[in-house]
Amino acid sequence: MTTGKGNLLREEIRTALAPRAGLLSADANVEATAATWRLVAAQLAPVIGARGLEVLFDRALHLTSTTYRWLAVSKDGSGSADPLPSLAECLLRQDPATAAEASYTLFLTFTDLLTTLIGESLTTRLLAPVWGTAQESAL
Amino acid sequence: MSDKVNIRRLASGVPGLDAILGGGLPEFSFNLIVGPPGSGKTTLAHQIMFALATKERPALFFTVLGEPPLKMLRYQQQFSFFDAQKVSESIRFVNLSDEVSTGNFDEVLARITKEVEASSPGLVFVDSFRSVMLEARHQPQGTLSLQQFIQQLGIHLSGWQATTFLIGEYLSNTDPHPVFTVADGLLSLDQSIHRNSMVRQMQVLKMRGQPTRPGMQTFRISSAGIEVFPTALVRDDNSAALEPVGSRRTKARLATGVPRLDDMLGGGLPSGYSMLVAGPSGSGKTILATAFLAEGVRRGEPGVIVAFEQTPSQSRTRTIDDMVRAGQVGLINTRSLDLSIDEIVHHMVALIHKMKATRVVIDSLSGFELAVAPTFREDFRESLFRMVAVLSGLGVTVVMTSELEDRYTDLRFSPYGSAFLTDAIIVERYIEIDSHFKRVLAVVKVRGSAHSKEVRQFEITDAGIIIGDPLGDYEGLLSGRATLVPPPIKVVGRAKLR
Repeated sequence: MTTGKGNLLREEIRTALAPRAGLLSADANVEATAATWRLVAAQLAPVIGARGLEVLFDRALHLTSTTYRWLAVSKDGSGSADPLPSLAECLLRQDPATAAEASYTLFLTFTDLLTTLIGESLTTRLLAPVWGTAQESAL
Repeated sequence: MSDKVNIRRLASGVPGLDAILGGGLPEFSFNLIVGPPGSGKTTLAHQIMFALATKERPALFFTVLGEPPLKMLRYQQQFSFFDAQKVSESIRFVNLSDEVSTGNFDEVLARITKEVEASSPGLVFVDSFRSVMLEARHQPQGTLSLQQFIQQLGIHLSGWQATTFLIGEYLSNTDPHPVFTVADGLLSLDQSIHRNSMVRQMQVLKMRGQPTRPGMQTFRISSAGIEVFPTALVRDDNSAALEPVGSRRTKARLATGVPRLDDMLGGGLPSGYSMLVAGPSGSGKTILATAFLAEGVRRGEPGVIVAFEQTPSQSRTRTIDDMVRAGQVGLINTRSLDLSIDEIVHHMVALIHKMKATRVVIDSLSGFELAVAPTFREDFRESLFRMVAVLSGLGVTVVMTSELEDRYTDLRFSPYGSAFLTDAIIVERYIEIDSHFKRVLAVVKVRGSAHSKEVRQFEITDAGIIIGDPLGDYEGLLSGRATLVPPPIKVVGRAKLR
């Protein structure tokens, strides 16, 4: 999979994950990641179902962990529907810059995956509210 | 009374569907779309939704278990009617699998109610209720039963001024589900596989307050979505449909393009007639039909040919190829083996209107029968009758060719018993004279007109069919074994014998 190449949402994801007030800290990164994920889930779960969302997220995590091997561990958690706690744990263990890059790659992979399944136009439309809200809260 | 409620009918956006529904989808009706997996239920629902959804009349599409929504979105996008612009603008997808998995219909209904209240949609789809029914097994005691659920849903939705569609699998023919009684409309989709052909059919089992078209209607799914081919209506009264025939059946006669054949027909083929040209393989049926079209083109009368046999590039039919390319003749050329007659008639009528054609050739009925899906072959004669009636209703003059097995022991015109359907018949035969195969033809019938009863020899040359003189010296020509008529016995000297 050619992660992020031609991904139209690159800028949006970067903005959504940008730490508030420009502080690069592990906590801020985890917070931004969690907030963005919740927004994505809120948009997609009603459409594709919680289970559909879970499957996509797992796949994105798997693909991202080929670059960031330490991400793989978060998958072996309790198997609960909410993947956030174990993801946060993994991110906190890394230095802020690496963790931020991993989060970015994860979202990029996730949106790529969605695009290959339902196409660019539908992906962009379904996720449009995420970036609007993320931008507002980031300001 | 003018204060009767006026039910608005929505155009479904599916070509041909409104015709079989009896005018469209009644607004605020509660409809069921049922059929086995793969019969096109979701596609039909989506096509209707994308056609009808607007900002003013938004649509809610609930997906229940069954097809994963991701897959549905992925595959439905392949249809040209899928408009991503409309998604989230006027169409919202809502997945209910979480609620359904609890098996508690109160929750499912509550969720649907909540979503409907939140967005006041004009259109609601629930795909599919078979899944809901399966989940009913795990249902906790004391909650809504499935039947109650469906009924409640129906009541709620009509109360909210929404046109509703429940999509599901048909359970059984013998024990119809009570929900069928509740529904205002019931559309049943089916696909029948016979040998190597697959035929899709749909049936309007119920549509309250509307005169629906009875029987199975064939449809096809292409990249543009579903297209229904309603059965051609043949009216049995002498009004409307038949009227134009009488008026258009003027005394005018059409030249066939074959010198001397017009004389044999009593002055040409009467306008509006259908003529059958029957004969064995290679006897010149297609050439005769081609001449008929070419003559039309020459006189500024456009034609339409439905070719089931030869490809236009084959040398004999080159003339047809030229005429088609010049836009003087419309061509329907098909070799697919899963057609319904209604589909062919549909295309034919459309092309006749487009070309303003007055001459139509069907070459040949034998090829036509092969091209028709095996499912329809049983009814071939009946369908043929309908087709001829439709064409005659249009006032066009039709020439049909028919392969005639070479049997020299009996005199047959057509293997279908289709001879009685036509107004005129020409039969071609091979005969043997002096150890040579020769072709002969005869006009067997021209309804309501005098015609030649002669059997004439003819030849096929580069210039077309050349009809010769009557073969006066022979008899038994149509049996294939022509014998010279013995010269009359001279009666000279009769008196002497006495």
